[in-house]
Amino acid sequence: MIKSEPKTIVQYLANHFDLLRELFAIQVENELIEKEQLDNALKEYGRDIEGMLYDHKILKIQNENFVLNEPYFKLFEFILQEFKPLLPEEISKYDTSIGTLFLKLKENIEGDKNLLLNQLSALSKEIDHFVNAVINNTLSLLNESRELKANRAKIDYQEKVQQARFWIDHYIVPLNTILDSNHAQSIYNTLLDIARYANGRRLDYSDESIRRQFEKLYNFLKQVEKDINQQSVLLTNELLPLLERIKTESEILTGISFYLSNGNCYKKIKPPKLLVTSRNVVYNPFVYEKTKEYFEHFKEETEIVLIEQFVERKEWIFDKRLYKSKLDKSLPINDFFGWCQACLEGSGNDLSSDNFFMLTSLIFEPDYKVQSTQEQRVITLQQGKSTYLMPKLKISKK
Amino acid sequence: MYPKEHKNIVTSLLEGKFITVAEKQFEVIKNKEGFYITFFEKSFGLELLTNIEYYYLISAETNENTSRDISIFFAILCEELDKDNRNFMEELNYSTFGLDEIFDYFQNSSREAIIKINKSLNSLDNLKGLLRTMMRRNIVVKQTEDSYTFTKAYKVFTEFAKELVKKKEIEEN
Repeated sequence: MIKSEPKTIVQYLANHFDLLRELFAIQVENELIEKEQLDNALKEYGRDIEGMLYDHKILKIQNENFVLNEPYFKLFEFILQEFKPLLPEEISKYDTSIGTLFLKLKENIEGDKNLLLNQLSALSKEIDHFVNAVINNTLSLLNESRELKANRAKIDYQEKVQQARFWIDHYIVPLNTILDSNHAQSIYNTLLDIARYANGRRLDYSDESIRRQFEKLYNFLKQVEKDINQQSVLLTNELLPLLERIKTESEILTGISFYLSNGNCYKKIKPPKLLVTSRNVVYNPFVYEKTKEYFEHFKEETEIVLIEQFVERKEWIFDKRLYKSKLDKSLPINDFFGWCQACLEGSGNDLSSDNFFMLTSLIFEPDYKVQSTQEQRVITLQQGKSTYLMPKLKISKK
Repeated sequence: MYPKEHKNIVTSLLEGKFITVAEKQFEVIKNKEGFYITFFEKSFGLELLTNIEYYYLISAETNENTSRDISIFFAILCEELDKDNRNFMEELNYSTFGLDEIFDYFQNSSREAIIKINKSLNSLDNLKGLLRTMMRRNIVVKQTEDSYTFTKAYKVFTEFAKELVKKKEIEEN
């Protein structure tokens, strides 16, 4: 039993708030306050205030150590908004307690009115506890995640990832299952059942005071529905991405550390693939030629003068009269083509096929009589380039 | 038959550029992703890598030295930003970096041995050269004469680091 006046206790809490806050922090960290830790704290804040800690029942002894009495602990959790995250099992137990209370209430719906009123009040209280636990838990998980993100404790990446995974796997995902209406285990669905039932009874019950209580319960549940949705959204939209991001960042930095260590980046580990670019551009395969052509278009042209070396060539003209008179003088001839060859060679003229055959045209002159023989002879012209097999023709004057 | 931006898309990707979510061509490829994957495979024998934030081509033959230098660049920059208590992912996403600022990080890095032998990172001029290469590939965007921002393509290199951890874990198990 507390002997102290309530006002004195509140006054004490206000006057020595810093000491109490320190003791609260120690207990959050270690679950209890060791004697030595208490002594150290009191050395700083004054020994004379120790007695009041027991008189006001703020501290209680537990196996030679100390703990803050639960109502005070809860008060500090609340005013400092520093809640210890609850395990999903600690929250899901409300499903059983709320479910049982609801079942009992339905069984007693036509029974004792006073009992029914108490059951309604107990059910509201339990739902209130549940909602507070969820809100506080989400808040504490958010604080834990932010703390982890800021990494004030300077823990290494590996540990940071493990922490993030721990919060996700053991707290956030299960809590989300409890709150998410799509899951069969969700308490949310139990609360919806209660809301539906309360809605019916607030309009359909003979006793007015009980109708009012159902009305109160129904309105309260509408608010609870909103609060739970809000917490669920906070979990899925903020908390999970935040922790996933911590996980990702830490994994990247761990990978980087591995990549840069022991010369791995130069020897052991191949970098990501990148395209080897070619100089050709797909839509301009002749870009070089086209560019060259373009620039050449504007280039000043220099006048080109072609100087050909002139070589004087003596053109052979067939002088029919001259060669006819030569032939006349040589008649009769046994080998006309042989004569033609000798004639051209003798005059130092070009012994081409054209010249040779021009000369042989003398054979068609009407003044001559031509006789063919069975013999043949070989005529070689143009320095051996052309060889003709010709008959031996006898020519005489008509 | 071909989308409006087809020519730009093909030219950019064949030049080794990343097309990121910030560019208008990204949406065009996204809407015809299957077509472009087949197009590059059948026409050029190249693989179009797809991601929710960028597209790029890879070939069987790879530009290993360039990729290695860029990987080291991001690895050291991320590590230094983290040491400087800056959230490297947010910084790479949203911040503008001065050339001197980047160079200072490399000058003061504990990875001195790696930087010293790297011809893209061991002097201010060489670093500028690497940034130019990264600009050609749309990994970096020049904002002013001496300041740069990064496109979402940087994630190729951070994802690469992340994958290394997974591979290492698999090997160890």
